[in-house]
Amino acid sequence: MSALRLRAIRKNFGSTVAVDDVTLDVPDRKFLVLLGPSGCGKTTIMRLIAGLEKLTAGEIWIGDKCMNRELPRDRDVAMVFQSYALYPHMSVYENIEYPLRVRKMPFEQRRAAALDAARKVELEALLDRLPRELSGGQRQRVALARAIVRRPQVFLMDEPLSNLDARLRVKMRSELKHLHHMLGITTVYVTHDQSEALTLADQIAVMSHGRVMQLADPKTLYDRPANVFVAGFVGSLSMNFITGEFLDGSFRAAGINVPGIGIGTRKGVKLGIRPNHLGIVASRSEAHFSGELYSVEVTGEAAIATVRFGKELVSVIVARDYTGSIGQDVPLRITEDQVHFFDDETGERLSFT
Amino acid sequence: MTSIKLYLRNLLHQGAVGLSIATAVLYTALPLLWMLSTSFKRRIDIVSSPVVWFPSSPTLQSYWLLFVEHPFLQYLLNSFLVAASVTFLSMVFGTLAGYALARTAFPRGVKRGLGFWILSQRMVPPVVLIIPLYLMFGHVNLLNTRTALVIGYTEFNLPFVVWMTRSYFSDLPRELEESALVDGDSKWGAFCRIALPLAKPGLIATAMFCFLLAWNELLFALIFTDTIQSNTLPIGIASLITQLEVDWSQICAAGSVASLPIIVLAFIVQKHIVRGLTFGAVKG
Repeated sequence: MSALRLRAIRKNFGSTVAVDDVTLDVPDRKFLVLLGPSGCGKTTIMRLIAGLEKLTAGEIWIGDKCMNRELPRDRDVAMVFQSYALYPHMSVYENIEYPLRVRKMPFEQRRAAALDAARKVELEALLDRLPRELSGGQRQRVALARAIVRRPQVFLMDEPLSNLDARLRVKMRSELKHLHHMLGITTVYVTHDQSEALTLADQIAVMSHGRVMQLADPKTLYDRPANVFVAGFVGSLSMNFITGEFLDGSFRAAGINVPGIGIGTRKGVKLGIRPNHLGIVASRSEAHFSGELYSVEVTGEAAIATVRFGKELVSVIVARDYTGSIGQDVPLRITEDQVHFFDDETGERLSFT
Repeated sequence: MTSIKLYLRNLLHQGAVGLSIATAVLYTALPLLWMLSTSFKRRIDIVSSPVVWFPSSPTLQSYWLLFVEHPFLQYLLNSFLVAASVTFLSMVFGTLAGYALARTAFPRGVKRGLGFWILSQRMVPPVVLIIPLYLMFGHVNLLNTRTALVIGYTEFNLPFVVWMTRSYFSDLPRELEESALVDGDSKWGAFCRIALPLAKPGLIATAMFCFLLAWNELLFALIFTDTIQSNTLPIGIASLITQLEVDWSQICAAGSVASLPIIVLAFIVQKHIVRGLTFGAVKG
């Protein structure tokens, strides 16, 4: 178990820059999630750490050892692939034992460790099966067992839950969290699912186009997104954005006036508000702005109303018994202390505190 | 009413399928059966018309002549040694080359050029190579040796093996070997422990083809070898056609002897061949 440090790492594939100057620290025993849309370089970072790709520039340190020139086998990391990469011709037991066997551990020790790993993920009953005879969740467990069997310094997990159905994903998520708590192994976890990231991570690095957009703990990421990209990506419903300006301490744009939340006067301001911090109010006098009701979707606990405001569609969380007819005019009010402001041009957060 | 119609149509359909299969089976099996039956015939039965399918008094005389008067045991041994060595060498080198082509990150153009160059070796008609090879073997005193045949056939089989194994390895998910590397294996270990076992059905089918080619080859053997110690079965069979007579019963006996090992081999590896040839067709 060791800390993992990435120092200005870069990876080019031909003329495309997959990873652009990324510096990250994962303290010992911490859980870092790399979060981003597909093609943002997060999987490449993982493969660089594992040694499956060669760095173009920068340094990778695990513990107090620079890993740039080490072979994958000498880095002492374990990786769970998105496809699990179970060896199809080996039984569950042989799969789990494989990392120990190739390291020439004596038979007795090997057996004890493999059985122990299998027990941790509740696979004892399936040790003689072949991977193709297992369900998706069971395969996932085999991949986990194979990773934990040898107590590596760093765990790498590349979208390990993305091939599972929704219910199983939530279950495995909590098992992963529990496993990490039990073993205390430094973990890097790649996902494009922001809810997975928020629930699992100690630290999240949100990535886009090979760069880290923000590195923060889940709460900070959600409460104080550093830029428009992070604000829009994190949160189960995307944040609503309205472009306008500050005028004498008010936020104004065409058809909207929110008094008392801005500072001074400034052009090119983007206001961000999450759907759960917007509300439909009874009368226009209480409202900050209004729009035409576009659709209502009931999700179970609540409903999502989508309102057309100018050219934009704004989503609002409403009670599930909300009855509005599509096309009607809806007055909306912003919860003033929950707004985010960003520079319209750079997308960076504006802070006044 | 309609159900009877449907039943009849079904019957007709099945009949047509059955008839086609029967035709195909007869077409391929009849010559073999004729060969087998002729090998047990007395001379008088061979030329009788109409054809005698089941000899009235079968005899083993042709086989006795084959193994006692002619050195067919030696030919059988030669053929087997040559075919086995060719298969072994082609598979060892071809598999390694195929794996390298499937997995190594050559620049794109280089990879295609290399692949094509290897394949092009197969495009040359064998007859073109005979004179240069004959001269070369002559220089190094390899004429009339089994070694010459092994070298010649291996040269011919290698491109085939490289291309076949390359496609088998390309069909394997790369992640399996990568996972093995991260798990602590060497590249060689990942190849031996992961890639090879997974490509096994394809490799067995490929090996079978190598063996067949070497077993059946006539042209090179005819030119490069002219001694009992080096002649292979096809030469032995051809030698039964002489100026004085064509001994059909002995030819058929020799043909049966030559076919038998291949048929046995085919039965043993049949399961793998079917899997091997369709390998990678369905991901799963």
